[in-house]
Amino acid sequence: MTRARGSTDAADPQTAATAAGREPTRRPRAERGPGTAATRLRRILAVVPYVIRHPGVRLRDLSALFDLHENDLAQDLNLLFLAGVPPYGPGDLIDVEIDEDGGVWIGMAEYFARPLRLTRAEAMALYLRGKALVGSTGVEESAAIGSALAKIEQELGPDTLGALAGRVAVGGTPRHEATLQVLRAAIRDQETVAVEYYAAGRDELSSREIDPEQLFTAIGNWYVVAWDHHSGEERTFRADRIRSVTGAGKRFERRGLAGAGRPLYSPTVSDVRVRLLLAPAARWVAEYYITESTRERADGRIEVLFPARDLEWVVKLVLRLGGEAEVLAPADLRERVRDAAEQTLRRYRRGPKQG
Amino acid sequence: MHPLERLVNLTALMLTARRPLTFDEIRDRIEAYQQQDHASAKRMFERDKDILREVGIPVDLVPTDPWEVEKGYQIVKEVYYLPDIEFTAEEMWALFVAAHAAGTDADAEFAFRKLAAGTEEGLIETMAGRQPAPGVDVSGPHLAAVADALAGRRRVRFRYRPIQGRAGVRRVDPYALIFRRGAWYLVGLDVDRKDIRSYRLSRIRSDVDDVGEGSPPPDGFEASRYLEAGPLGDGAPLGARWARVSFSDKVAWLVVAATRGARVRRTAASGWVEIDVPTDDPEGLASWVLSFGADARALSPRALRDEVVRRLEAMAAGTVA
Repeated sequence: MTRARGSTDAADPQTAATAAGREPTRRPRAERGPGTAATRLRRILAVVPYVIRHPGVRLRDLSALFDLHENDLAQDLNLLFLAGVPPYGPGDLIDVEIDEDGGVWIGMAEYFARPLRLTRAEAMALYLRGKALVGSTGVEESAAIGSALAKIEQELGPDTLGALAGRVAVGGTPRHEATLQVLRAAIRDQETVAVEYYAAGRDELSSREIDPEQLFTAIGNWYVVAWDHHSGEERTFRADRIRSVTGAGKRFERRGLAGAGRPLYSPTVSDVRVRLLLAPAARWVAEYYITESTRERADGRIEVLFPARDLEWVVKLVLRLGGEAEVLAPADLRERVRDAAEQTLRRYRRGPKQG
Repeated sequence: MHPLERLVNLTALMLTARRPLTFDEIRDRIEAYQQQDHASAKRMFERDKDILREVGIPVDLVPTDPWEVEKGYQIVKEVYYLPDIEFTAEEMWALFVAAHAAGTDADAEFAFRKLAAGTEEGLIETMAGRQPAPGVDVSGPHLAAVADALAGRRRVRFRYRPIQGRAGVRRVDPYALIFRRGAWYLVGLDVDRKDIRSYRLSRIRSDVDDVGEGSPPPDGFEASRYLEAGPLGDGAPLGARWARVSFSDKVAWLVVAATRGARVRRTAASGWVEIDVPTDDPEGLASWVLSFGADARALSPRALRDEVVRRLEAMAAGTVA
């Protein structure tokens, strides 16, 4: 790594995590309603080959696999049995049947038994999304995605993917896969876990028991939503700040925590309002954290106002920014920065053996 | 006749025909085009043919005879059909997860459907009761346009606002796309600066325009080299030098876990841990070291240590902050 100035930091408890990556676990439906003739044709040409290869597949299962509403699917199929290779002689019409158990059968359409080739846009979209998942820590399927993408590269090759294959890379993955595995199992088994957690906001390492209910990612980090026995409330923990996690040998009942539906940081009345003046080199701060207001001055410096629950991380942030940030308010933050600088300096003034 | 029915018929007709068909031959066979007015029938056919092409069906117009007197429409089967790709059930499930990750995209969805349609595996059993992993957002602004340029080796132009400094126009020959810590980056040759740089797609402030043919990456170009450097800056290559920093027990484990290439050198009796960190610019690490406050102490190189101390003295004296 190189921690270029302005890269991610060690103390960012209230980063501006956006709604991205915090969708509920229920899958979104890609499309609703019958759609245009083009969309319906595109659907039909994908669904029909599957049915021909899997005769009797349930409409319900097709709808789940293709992420389409059963009604839309049935409407498409009902139109299909009016079609075929014109002009229609005996055996030229496609034979479509939906039986009383919801099983779907299609005959007399051998020419549709294989799907239409992927367009370049389709292949690229799936390929890039797959690559991104391979590069995201904590995705259970990443190995299988990797091998599936290798097959796509090999079979569709430059015809469809152009020069893209081999030119997409992923990385920067932190190494807390083991933590995520334990958490995932605990969520599934509803088992309480004991964690050692570093709270960057307060700069504190503490041990506690939590009941984990949900994992999600936001701006590249994994978070676990859990009931925290220590504070007696719902908390969101950043997975890479969990130093150790072990099963506590106790079961818990799910409380239906709001979790991923909630913002990572919600300001409260007791929060302190921090006002910083940032040099252009520290402009990233205005983007990275949730700010109440930002104002660009004529000299290119930016004044930001943001609420903070704890000041400890802000002290570290200002230390980190060095001369590129000036504390405008509150006054005691300025004091604390000075104290922290003084305290850190002592590390260098003492003998080298003292660490 | 419903338009969908007409489109299916037209596709089926051309897909089963042994030779290209002229419009009049198609008109003879498909009732929907058999209206009195030849011109309006032709217009309807033209619109349908465009829809077929829009959907990705390869409809060609080719001569029907060696003298090229007449032209006919055809769908070449080898071009139309997806080649058989044998995916395992787990791979199909993984592709389903990829197609349904946050930031839905109709193209990815259709890609999955077509691949699923071509498999012999019974996917239904594999999928029963499973939900895709929630919430990894893999979409990115301008991703399709940049990927298109990369795939076609095209040069692009866009307005970019770097993390530090002012926005400006960049002309770039794309070499690679990188997904790192939840964001997409383009790595490529900055044509005007004559240097390989990286660009976070979310910092692109305009459309991505195709401005002509691009250049291929240099021999031995490895996109992964640009990963470890952390393209959060503007894409310095991988650091080949080392910095040594000592961390308190409270944070040392975090540094080891989050820092690629970090090596633990030794742990002192006090619990402080000496860690070596690869970098191309040791002095540039001063900010990072300072972000750990009194829990970190820069040891070497001397320049890093001096820079940290210089900044701390300024802050302690209250001349800044």
